[in-house]
Amino acid sequence: MKHTMQVETNGAELTLVRKFNAPRSKVFEAHTDCKHLKHWWGPREWPVSYCNMDFRVGGRWHYCMTGPEGVEAWGLMLYKEIIDQELIAGEDHFADKEGNSNTELPVTHTRNEFTEKDGVTTLRSVARYSSPEDLKKVLDMGMVDGIRETFDRLEEYLAR
Amino acid sequence: MRRDVFQGIADPTRRAILGRLVKEKLNLTTLADDYAISRQSVTKHIRILEECGLVVFEKVGRETFVKAKPAKLNEVAKWIDQYRAFFEASYDRLDDYLKTME
Repeated sequence: MKHTMQVETNGAELTLVRKFNAPRSKVFEAHTDCKHLKHWWGPREWPVSYCNMDFRVGGRWHYCMTGPEGVEAWGLMLYKEIIDQELIAGEDHFADKEGNSNTELPVTHTRNEFTEKDGVTTLRSVARYSSPEDLKKVLDMGMVDGIRETFDRLEEYLAR
Repeated sequence: MRRDVFQGIADPTRRAILGRLVKEKLNLTTLADDYAISRQSVTKHIRILEECGLVVFEKVGRETFVKAKPAKLNEVAKWIDQYRAFFEASYDRLDDYLKTME
């Protein structure tokens, strides 16, 4: 049985809360290495096609997801704060193939908190934009529309 | 002071007022009665909602009505939907993957 993800909005923040039937050490570890992330990051039809991670404070995660028709989405996570098995906080940037951050596009500040109770791990993921203008830019780009269409197709496929 | 949509919906009373206004336009007196709070405090909330671009005022005769402007809210809803869909898919996969992890 999968747990349902909860979504909360509070001010300019968006919080996702999801429980996993697994120890915290495992859920945390799944976030810390390409060999794990390749198996679960992003929608199934946008597989991770490039992944290079230096998991430490001041380190970075440079990745690419390749969608249908070969569309590439490059991202760059800069790690700002890490507490083993408890917290991963950083800045998620739009990027290019060379790993340069796109300074024109908004940065998402993310904070993932891991807690465990009775063998169930709760992951609390908070996303925040620097300004309402930044959020507006993301909306205007409609960048995830393609991904959403993919979800719809995936849902149809799974329902067969 | 600059206002944005998220500030508008951050407060539970404002969310309730918006929910009410999406169904019909209302005057301030009706709104104040509905929420058992002072007219002054309703006016304050409405003013913030207006500054966020979530409601507009409409004069009908001597009465002032408040109307919701759902387009702005849709913007927020759209972003949240996209973000949620991405992580819903990822976390479902993570669930499966955790079972196979050593």
